[in-house]
Amino acid sequence: MPYEVVHQDVLVIGAGGAGLRAAVAAAETGVQVGVVTKSLLGKAHTVMAEGGVAAAFGHMDGQDTWQVHFQDTMKSGHFLNNAHMVELLTREAPDRVLELEGWGALFDRTETGEILQRAFGAHSFRRLAHVGDRTGKELIRTLQNRAVHQGVAVYPEIIITRLFRDARRIAGALGYRRADGRFILFRTPTVIVATGGWGRLYSVTSNSWETTGDGANLAFSVGAELVDMEMVQFHPTGMLWPPGVRGLLVTEGVRGEGGLLYNADHERFMTRYDPERMELSTRDVVARAISSEVAAGRGTPHGGAWLDISHRGAPFILRKLPGMRDQFLQLADVDITRQPMEIAPTVHYMMGGVRVDPDTCATAVVGLYAAGEVAAGVHGANRLGGNSLADLLVFGRRAGLAAAAEVRDDPQLSEIAETEVQLAIAEALAPLGRTAGANPYAIQADLRRTMSQYAGLIRTGTGLTQGLERVRALQRQAVSLQVTGGPAFNPGWNLALDLQAMLVLAEAIFVSAIERTESRGAHFREDFPREDPAWGRFNLITTRGGEGGLRVRREPVVGAEPAAARTERPATASSGGPGRPGGSGGSGGSGGSGGSKEADQT
Amino acid sequence: MDIKLKVRRQNPEADDKPFWKDYAVEVPEYYTLLDALLKVREEVDETLALRCSCRSHICGSCGMRVNGHAALACKTKLSDIDQGAVTVEPMGNMPVIRDLVVDLEPFWNKLYSIKPYLQPATDPPEREYVVPNDTMFHLDGVVNCIMCGACVSDCESLSVNPIFIGPTALAKEYRFVADPRDAADRERLTQMNGPGGVWDCTHCFQCVEVCPKDVAPMERIMAMRRMMMDMGMEQNNGAKRANAFMDLVGSYGRLDETRLLMRSVSGLGELMSFSKVGLRALWKGKLPPLRPHRIAGAPAVRRILERARNQRPRRFKVHQAQEEGVRA
Repeated sequence: MPYEVVHQDVLVIGAGGAGLRAAVAAAETGVQVGVVTKSLLGKAHTVMAEGGVAAAFGHMDGQDTWQVHFQDTMKSGHFLNNAHMVELLTREAPDRVLELEGWGALFDRTETGEILQRAFGAHSFRRLAHVGDRTGKELIRTLQNRAVHQGVAVYPEIIITRLFRDARRIAGALGYRRADGRFILFRTPTVIVATGGWGRLYSVTSNSWETTGDGANLAFSVGAELVDMEMVQFHPTGMLWPPGVRGLLVTEGVRGEGGLLYNADHERFMTRYDPERMELSTRDVVARAISSEVAAGRGTPHGGAWLDISHRGAPFILRKLPGMRDQFLQLADVDITRQPMEIAPTVHYMMGGVRVDPDTCATAVVGLYAAGEVAAGVHGANRLGGNSLADLLVFGRRAGLAAAAEVRDDPQLSEIAETEVQLAIAEALAPLGRTAGANPYAIQADLRRTMSQYAGLIRTGTGLTQGLERVRALQRQAVSLQVTGGPAFNPGWNLALDLQAMLVLAEAIFVSAIERTESRGAHFREDFPREDPAWGRFNLITTRGGEGGLRVRREPVVGAEPAAARTERPATASSGGPGRPGGSGGSGGSGGSGGSKEADQT
Repeated sequence: MDIKLKVRRQNPEADDKPFWKDYAVEVPEYYTLLDALLKVREEVDETLALRCSCRSHICGSCGMRVNGHAALACKTKLSDIDQGAVTVEPMGNMPVIRDLVVDLEPFWNKLYSIKPYLQPATDPPEREYVVPNDTMFHLDGVVNCIMCGACVSDCESLSVNPIFIGPTALAKEYRFVADPRDAADRERLTQMNGPGGVWDCTHCFQCVEVCPKDVAPMERIMAMRRMMMDMGMEQNNGAKRANAFMDLVGSYGRLDETRLLMRSVSGLGELMSFSKVGLRALWKGKLPPLRPHRIAGAPAVRRILERARNQRPRRFKVHQAQEEGVRA
């Protein structure tokens, strides 16, 4: 079968915040950059980010510094975070935000014209730069425009089905155009995977339709490692009613701006779970609190909690939370300026993902990088709100710069055998050629139910084992998927290919969750309800074992503390410096004891 | 409730001719059109092609024509529209790829042609730009655009004038022209003063009506026309017409359509091109009076116009403020 060939110095897969930031960074150095996205430019899940981007400017609270932001992030991540990544994140976030402003982004301002910052869960100070409740949209729009400005080539509605490598490095990527099914081979010495998360594995999620984890699976399939896959964040406040919109995000900004949580008895139940931080506790704590209230019979009519912001008054709400007001009015017939919102936890973010080098975002495969939600390390066992947008700016840029530098140092393109390309094309087309086989929609529905039931907010060893068995059964069925119609804009065919990634990542979540016999952050095991300090010293790394199965191993957490924290607290572990992950692993971890100074302000 | 969806489909792998297909489905009260279409796709016909992503009208992927007008499927609640038969068609003014999926390449090309990025006079400052809050607030509405294409789909002008750059691109142009940090406003407006630019809008309000995010592209277009005229870009039919309109209403207290036409066109040749229309109007008894008629309250009308003229919003530009600062 014929195919088109395109050459790029750097190929970015994914046009969300991380992908576009990477593309801009690489293009600014003068190399040729292509961005391939399976949807259209500007539609990626980043556009749905609402609350803001965490950056310790200290505009509102002068005491705020990147060190406090570092401590908040480590603590919230239950010290599974890669401390060096957290240092980079918190140190560099303010510059990345200012840079966006310089490129044209609008941010809400203080009276004196500085960037305004809002409070968010478990941030010690008001820290999130934002524009109303549509920060992600402004961020992606700005980056999209900047990418156009920098001459980045955009390939919309192309789905990458395969990465190629030789013994040395990455060699290219094969994809097909959604519009007509024609194949296209990208020949490139470097690939940056920035495809976001895999929230669509679950039946209730805040994520967009496209978050199926393709990039994580692509990277994994050529030898990158996965880490902390059991860490799935449930955002405490998703829409609950009507069922058609169940799971849609209700921004943490609602609580940041003073929204209060009540149970059916009109009781501020957070007093029982975190009396100090109350509504602004970490997401794992608030999500489980809501679930406990429902389990105790104090849930709302549809099985959730009430979130009320109406006491702040209509003018304030219309200015600070216009999107939320619109969303509830349009989709739920609820006017949040007068009525409470009915909410329940929803799958929101994957802390786990592709293992990367902190400084360069390089994976274990030469030439292959990963940045944003698809990568892992910075958020540990629970992500702080606002840190995701900071993450994709900081590490998107780092990945772009590192890939561009690698191309300049070593532009030699690796070979791809024609037979390999033809084989990959045949495999992708297989579901279209079958006259009988499993239906991808049925398998997807089953998988999403399985994940929500067995790998949800509250897990048990037996449930996880059952879930894993179910996923493996679905994998066997998915070997011979069958879809109707031809390759031109065929949604069933797209799903059949998405499922390959979804089923691998589902398995990785189960095997990691079974292995971690404790509760930590987002991972809660009813059979091991306590945090175990011994487990706090390890990350779980998933690799391919023999016979196609997955293998999990422990590796010590990279527990370095930042330079400034070192001057305050001299006894520390060594730094997790540059180098490729997956070789010698990190240095021994003092992770469990790092930077836990209790901040006195919420 | 039972609904009937009448969907216009098209398959490039068959004969590529549009055809209608009906789907009768039972759905709960709270369903959106998108919910219903996905139900059809998952349970009835897995080949039905459409775009969608976020489900919460923020990504702008699921634009389509619903009962004749562009809308987002995820924002259209079935209980709000007539369920007897809902017609669903691909958006207008764009080629169809398949079923409800249209080719957006021309849309993007027009959008990118306006240089949709900040062009400041100098490198950005080390910290954030400092600007008065009230000079930024008005951008709040226009940055709401989710690039769904609804306004372009239903633009009356585009349907007869393909070179018109269209409401999305013009709203985006306004977003930068009106941004206090952008210094290329004169170049931008000069470009939009030509063919395909702001004067090609026919003022039909469709874009304002169908926009799911209240961006009101037409109002942005009108604002740019005013800015152009303030900058002295008046040598075109649109500006001449606007000036003549104000002048005539100011003088006579009402519109004099004959003179409005004469003062709007450039030269006798163009005027003659309207002769057919004039003759038809005469034949039907609709020709406006050749001698204008001044109403009794004309001076009062003039005072109203003047007050309106003086109530323009303040324009603020960082680079101009800096230059003035240096001079002071």
